[in-house]
Amino acid sequence: LSREVVITALGTAGAWGGGRCCLERALAAGTPPAPAEVDRGGGFHRTHGARRALLTPLAALAPWLPAAEARRMSLPSRLAVAAARMAVADSGLAAEQLAGPGTAVVVATAFGPSSFSECLLRQVLLEGPEAASPYFFTESVTNAPAAQIAIACRARGANLTLCQREAGALLAAARGAAEVASGRAERALVGAVDEISPLLHALLDRFGTLARRLGASGRGEGCGDGCGNGDSGDGCGGGDSGVSCGEGCDGGEVGRPFDRRRAGVVAADGATVLLLETAEAAARRGRRPLARVRGWGSAFDPSAPPAGWGSGGEVLGRALRRALARCGAAPGAAAGDGGVVIDRIVSGAAGSRGGDRLEARALRAAWRGGRDGGDDGDGELPPVLAPKAVTGEYGGGFLAAAVLAAAGAPCGPTPGFREVDPELGVTPHDGRPLPPPRAVLASSVAAGGAASWLVLER
Amino acid sequence: MPEAEATPAEVRQGGTANRSRRRVVVTGIGAVSGFGWGVEPLWQGLRSAATAIRPFGRFDHRGHRTHLAAEVPPPAGGGLPGGERRPRSGEGGARGGERPARGGGPLGVADRQLSMADRFALAAAGEALAAAGLDGGRLRAAPEGQAGVFFGSSTGGMWETERFLADLLAGRRHPLHSLASQQVNGPGDAVARRFGVTGPVQTISSACASGALAIGAALEAVRDGEVEVALAGGADSLCQLTYAGFNSLRSVDEAPCRPFRAGRAGMSLGEGSAVLVLEPLAGALARGVVPLAELAGAGGSCDAFHMTAPEPDGTGAAAAILAALADAGWQPADVDFVNAHATGTPLNDDAEWRALELVFGSRAERLPVTASKAAVGHLLGSAGAIEAAATVLSLWRRELPPLPGAAAGPVDADCPAALVRGWPLALPEARAAVSTSLAFGGSNAALAFARWTGEAP
Repeated sequence: LSREVVITALGTAGAWGGGRCCLERALAAGTPPAPAEVDRGGGFHRTHGARRALLTPLAALAPWLPAAEARRMSLPSRLAVAAARMAVADSGLAAEQLAGPGTAVVVATAFGPSSFSECLLRQVLLEGPEAASPYFFTESVTNAPAAQIAIACRARGANLTLCQREAGALLAAARGAAEVASGRAERALVGAVDEISPLLHALLDRFGTLARRLGASGRGEGCGDGCGNGDSGDGCGGGDSGVSCGEGCDGGEVGRPFDRRRAGVVAADGATVLLLETAEAAARRGRRPLARVRGWGSAFDPSAPPAGWGSGGEVLGRALRRALARCGAAPGAAAGDGGVVIDRIVSGAAGSRGGDRLEARALRAAWRGGRDGGDDGDGELPPVLAPKAVTGEYGGGFLAAAVLAAAGAPCGPTPGFREVDPELGVTPHDGRPLPPPRAVLASSVAAGGAASWLVLER
Repeated sequence: MPEAEATPAEVRQGGTANRSRRRVVVTGIGAVSGFGWGVEPLWQGLRSAATAIRPFGRFDHRGHRTHLAAEVPPPAGGGLPGGERRPRSGEGGARGGERPARGGGPLGVADRQLSMADRFALAAAGEALAAAGLDGGRLRAAPEGQAGVFFGSSTGGMWETERFLADLLAGRRHPLHSLASQQVNGPGDAVARRFGVTGPVQTISSACASGALAIGAALEAVRDGEVEVALAGGADSLCQLTYAGFNSLRSVDEAPCRPFRAGRAGMSLGEGSAVLVLEPLAGALARGVVPLAELAGAGGSCDAFHMTAPEPDGTGAAAAILAALADAGWQPADVDFVNAHATGTPLNDDAEWRALELVFGSRAERLPVTASKAAVGHLLGSAGAIEAAATVLSLWRRELPPLPGAAAGPVDADCPAALVRGWPLALPEARAAVSTSLAFGGSNAALAFARWTGEAP
């Protein structure tokens, strides 16, 4: 990088509440926040489908977003602006210092403001096109959260919204870092935001993405606890097969990253916004960074179907090796080797059967290659954290967790994990105290084929 | 290979421009627009002063306030790529009229999972690769990770989503697979999947600036050596969400749009795709490919002013243009023409004119300006891409297409842009051009293209 980029502030809101302390506590305890029952009144959900999601208590946003402002915004915009203001407060910068052309905004979203799009389409389809509300339309655009952050912070640098499903958050962080490293921006507000509307929740469930619980009928309608009856991997709703698991599962809707019995993810809404600036600027104002952005990479697995997972673990593993090499790191390198030592992986695994499998294969392929690029590695991974077991899938919690891990925040056990999947061979962190990391690899593979990585140094 | 002529920056700097960065060139273009499937229909349509904005049949628009759009016509020979029959006029909307063909595409991806926007993107990308000499599997044979896709889209497969939702609300069954590619990243992913791309794939969805921002991202990736080939562009299809949405804002003209004209009353929506193949200059020359143009710079900014209204004084848009010029190492005086965002809305054109005045000063009134949206409509997330394609074609063919609608009235006295009218404007000496994209939410982008003069076409 032409200029060293550091992360100096973090704002986050999710089911864990508002502010990074709330998330730190949840991650340290290894305890996911209490899920909320999703409104099933629309009639779109399957009878025995997933019922819960990790939803942000709106009261957590109130200190950061006056009601008079919030009333003009979709939920993703509210979440994003609140998280951005938390990040600004955390940065120690005055609002005036962020205003102007030196501040870029890069936001990732998997689904955008889906509830407002749905509202608008309901008006068009049920009441007629002339019933369409300009308010809904204005806030239905995918870049509304990024635009609202810019307006709230008067950030007049480049403003981008990235859509690459689960890979988007790390891509946004990388793009923001590139803006700062290249000198196009002095600082960047980067992050991720998503909402989980009832319709979106129902559709994700129909695609077999979500963990489900044992049905009251006892037929085991995709129990979400080990029967493998969810997440068919082909993106076509193969999880609705009605096969009983018969394994004595507890019936909870739980994401179980890397577990043999994993059967889907727990959807989450929320937002995370980071402040990126140059190390020089941070030092000038005496600000201790949370982490340094060492590098990034991304790749695509063309074997993936549009909404599912591919089989390109080896392809992604080689891409990861190249990305690591670009930032001076090598899988398996140890202290004294002279390069960046990755001693922690923050994985985007969330309990998806296909997604976790691909993630594990990519990581294993990268580490199996050995530190010199040959096929001489032992494939032993450094400690793997799977924070989506706490934060859920989507909503930016993963990005916040990656930064906190790089900053040395304690990480508790991985809730929901009980049994190693022999096919994956990855055991996520069990909560034992770990020494502070030197460098952390954040890794995320996305439904549809994309993958992204970010290397953060403490 | 003859020595390349100096770029505008090199001329200005006495040939001492910083060459540490890789120069990036456009080696292929593909397009799908209201004029048809391909670059040639687009170019002939543009230069003939025709407009593709007309009555359309993608969905039943009788209940909408306006009734025109630049719809992509059926390709020669009927069906859409992937085997689908295009819906007839009046079909679609609530029930839809097409029956997706079965049968898998390459790599096992069923074509029935492709959205209309995906199909536009695949056609444009295929044409661009062929033009660049990278068709027939040559891209797939490139070193792993060395090709990337950088795409813009505003709504992805929204048209398909609308039909799904209409059926859902009516209690009718609708196949779930129709939603498989409904996401905004669908078109870019589809291109990567179809052509075996294993490098970075990014979709930018910043409303009307998406396509230009995506091309800017591709420029950086090629320039920095992250990839050796980038497919950069965008795709969007007509849908009720945007059609009704812009009508709800009263931003749509009941007549074909009239950028910078007195009495203009809004935009006209369009659909389609454009894709540019970007490569490092050295790599293109080594392959024996004659570049179409050089992508010399890109810039972005944000108004941070209002969700739908542009900053009236144009400072945000001007900042993006100046950033692109700075990235290219150019001065405003280096620019020979502008392909303006020029939606035809009163506020947008006014603000854009202020931006041109801020950047080009008194020269703004003499600087030739074209506005592709008057011909192909507003392609939203793909607008920046198709206007970039038009800009490259103008540099390559050394003429600037006229705006259609010679009878659309005089130029607005408050926005006295030097519009090209009537016939194409010959620009034999033009070397540099800027294309602007100004989006909802105040996101602005500008691209700076230079004519490739290293070898005669």
